[in-house]
Amino acid sequence: MRPILERYAQPLYGTVILPRLGNTASAEEVLRDTLATAVEKIKRFTWQGKSIYPWLRQIAINKVFDVHRQSKRSRRLADAMVHEVAAETDPSSHADAQLIAEQERTAHRAKIDETMVLLAERYRLAIELRLVQELSRDDCAKRLGVTIGTFDVLLFRAVRAFRKQFGEAKGS
Amino acid sequence: MPTTDDEDDLMLGAVPDPDDEATPAERAHARTFAELVDKTLVGQTPVAMSADDRALLDVATVIRVTSGGLPLAASKQRSIVEAALAKAIGGGRPTTTTAELPSAPAAVIPLAGRERRRFVPWAIAGVSTLVAAAAIVLLVVRAPTVIHEVDTARVVPTEQRSRPTDALIGPIARERAGDAATRIDTIFADRLDGYRDRTLGGGKP
Repeated sequence: MRPILERYAQPLYGTVILPRLGNTASAEEVLRDTLATAVEKIKRFTWQGKSIYPWLRQIAINKVFDVHRQSKRSRRLADAMVHEVAAETDPSSHADAQLIAEQERTAHRAKIDETMVLLAERYRLAIELRLVQELSRDDCAKRLGVTIGTFDVLLFRAVRAFRKQFGEAKGS
Repeated sequence: MPTTDDEDDLMLGAVPDPDDEATPAERAHARTFAELVDKTLVGQTPVAMSADDRALLDVATVIRVTSGGLPLAASKQRSIVEAALAKAIGGGRPTTTTAELPSAPAAVIPLAGRERRRFVPWAIAGVSTLVAAAAIVLLVVRAPTVIHEVDTARVVPTEQRSRPTDALIGPIARERAGDAATRIDTIFADRLDGYRDRTLGGGKP
């Protein structure tokens, strides 16, 4: 069982759990619970000549639901992603785990891009430089020709705007 | 120092345009958030932060992970798999140390407490074994008790025992077959007499 868990831990974490939680500590906890549940319930898994990944993925998604249900905070972005789970999930899929994970990553990326398009150019740039390219604040400020303090404000507003746009776009 | 109302406006109000002048409160909050992002990017996300900052940081994390960042470190993956196996098979007790499991900070137990807890099952097992051994020794050593058997049936008078009503009612004549109420009254009165004898004589019902 250990090789299976080690093989699927990364795609579960990176494409199923963390994008829906946004919190690394919670995501690690959910991953651990997912794998533990898989070990406990492996007898229920019926092998039908296809990957075990969709089954594991469904367990992970159920755990993510539980986390959101328990959380009292308003987390529109994460909620929006969770609401789309049903449409995306196909437990009977014959696709390989890597392929499913890649498709899911692409789908998430498309959602992010859709929202980014709605942002002001400078907000988009601030997010791109700081969160995607992971440049330092100093470098980001130089690229945008502003002080670090002004860049901080830009990034702060950019993330707020993103959150607002994403939640509204997916919640509507 | 920004007030709570200012903070609410910052987080819940409309997002200003990029060129709008920032208030001192917004600058201060933006700087705090920037420092949180700094720490998160180097993998040192603070545990304590406001719910609003946490929500924004979650958004930033979602953007980062969707862009291909934030892979699970091999060592962390191993410890999570280990913890999952321990939880599933070992009844929730991970074989790795709790310190290696950043996902469960609330479960951190002081070392002294853990040592004490480790001895609890052994202490319970030891005491149980001692009690069982003592019981066996008592059974073997103790002289057999003389049991005086009492014939309860003989001690309790007939009117206080469970008994058929045939002798009380006798054969039922055909013409009185429908008069069950009278027969029940008769039986009830008879049983009530026995009950009263018993209670009035100082015994328990």
